[in-house]
Amino acid sequence: MRPAEWLRTNSERYLLEAAQRSMAAQHYGKAALPPPAPGGVFWRRAFVPVYRRLPWSLKHRIITAMPGSHRRRWRAFDDDPRQPGI
Amino acid sequence: MSRRIVIVGGGAAGIGAAGAAKQVDPAADVTLYTEYEDVAYSPCGIPYVHGKEIPTFEALFLQGKEAYVQAGIDIHYETRVTRIDTTRREVLANGERTVSYDRLVITTGFTYADPGIPGGDLDGLYYVKNIRRAMEWDKVLDSVHSAVVLEASPLGLEMTTALAHRGIETHLVDSHPWALAEVGDPDIMQPVQDSWDEMGVHMHFNTRAEALLGSGHVRAVKTSAGEISADLVVICTHKRPDSALARAAGVGLGSTGGIIVDDRMATTVEGVYAAGDCAEVPHGVTRVPIQGISGSHAYAQGKVAGANAAGGDRFYQPVYVPWGMVAGKWMIGGVSFGETLATALGVPFVSGAADGISRARYYPDVKKVRVKLLAEPAHHRLIGAQMVGGEGIKERADFLAMAVKTGVTLEDLAWMENVYSPPIGALNEPIALAAQNALARLKD
Repeated sequence: MRPAEWLRTNSERYLLEAAQRSMAAQHYGKAALPPPAPGGVFWRRAFVPVYRRLPWSLKHRIITAMPGSHRRRWRAFDDDPRQPGI
Repeated sequence: MSRRIVIVGGGAAGIGAAGAAKQVDPAADVTLYTEYEDVAYSPCGIPYVHGKEIPTFEALFLQGKEAYVQAGIDIHYETRVTRIDTTRREVLANGERTVSYDRLVITTGFTYADPGIPGGDLDGLYYVKNIRRAMEWDKVLDSVHSAVVLEASPLGLEMTTALAHRGIETHLVDSHPWALAEVGDPDIMQPVQDSWDEMGVHMHFNTRAEALLGSGHVRAVKTSAGEISADLVVICTHKRPDSALARAAGVGLGSTGGIIVDDRMATTVEGVYAAGDCAEVPHGVTRVPIQGISGSHAYAQGKVAGANAAGGDRFYQPVYVPWGMVAGKWMIGGVSFGETLATALGVPFVSGAADGISRARYYPDVKKVRVKLLAEPAHHRLIGAQMVGGEGIKERADFLAMAVKTGVTLEDLAWMENVYSPPIGALNEPIALAAQNALARLKD
């Protein structure tokens, strides 16, 4: 797996896991939460808390710095003055 | 001399590309390679034949092979392209025949992610994809007593519903806390899970599959919560872009593993286009690239790629991802993202939900409809939605996708006009009620 794909796969996995646990705690109660799957110590204890503290504008800059289709020309974005998701 | 266009892959994107290329340049020499026996059928319909809602697989075919011959599209069935040489503009078919092209369209689709557990080589593991294999599996299903569906993905939801509908003892195993947890929110999925319960489905959430057990043929799935006996395991893991051929040819890939394209569906290599599940396109709200969306997205992307390969000038738009499906006894759907995904991404949002009805309250067969809207806190522009209901979900998802795309606000939706006619629409539109509730939360 290439570095950008590895980073996205892991960051998505643990950010989603954290969001799902938070939503599950609200919906089903904290008692229903099982222990997390083994592994992922760095991602759970360092990456997710740090990512959550960053403002969305900075998160977005980091995410869109990754290689991908968004960095090529999409005319719809040329004409759209809105800042995405902010 | 006519333009020679080669298309690799015969799914929705490939067929869309072939048809559009011929439309733009009828004189073009269009050749399509597919590793399968057929093109132009609806693989998305396969679970409904298994579930007996659709009587035959033949109903899934859109048109016969002769129609493509008449349209001047040269389709090579059961032919795998094994190499692309973008410098010499050639592809190698079946490892022996070299074919040159002026323009190439890559529509190689997806593969299921490897479950990454022992036992992957056993018999009795079903990957839903090819219609001919589905026909064979359908006969097997007649003798299946119990089945495990691995992962509550969109296909997992459809197959769980289909197998239960068919009377098979069905177990759904997923490591997440609820079904479709990477897309849907728990309040939206709860009615679906309740209906599966009524249908006799055994749900195993927060449960990891650890191994497929058996000798020759699968007999059980070992999970973090014990063993589940199974005559059949349906693997419904993530759709990964099948971009290995493109990567080997030096075509650029993005962070999803999908092929990088611009809005003309042109790749990083001159003269090479890509479309469908093997490519990635930017999300309209976040601009983050995504892949593996739906058959309608693949077909539309294929049309753009094929038209441009034939000398046209069409462009595709960023996606807002309206989605919808039947799961259990409910329809679910949405646009863009829900609370779970927005929370994971860290996108700021305010949400509002409302429970409404699909028709006048006194009209027969009136159904519940729950709508949840997500909006930007600063400008109140809609950025996502989730829904569950008995009817009218698809139409609301399509409408809300356009609303997100065009920057419609909560205020616009809260006081929107709506159709009121007892057999088809209630006095209060649930979308408007959800928007009013979101605005009320903003005032708190």
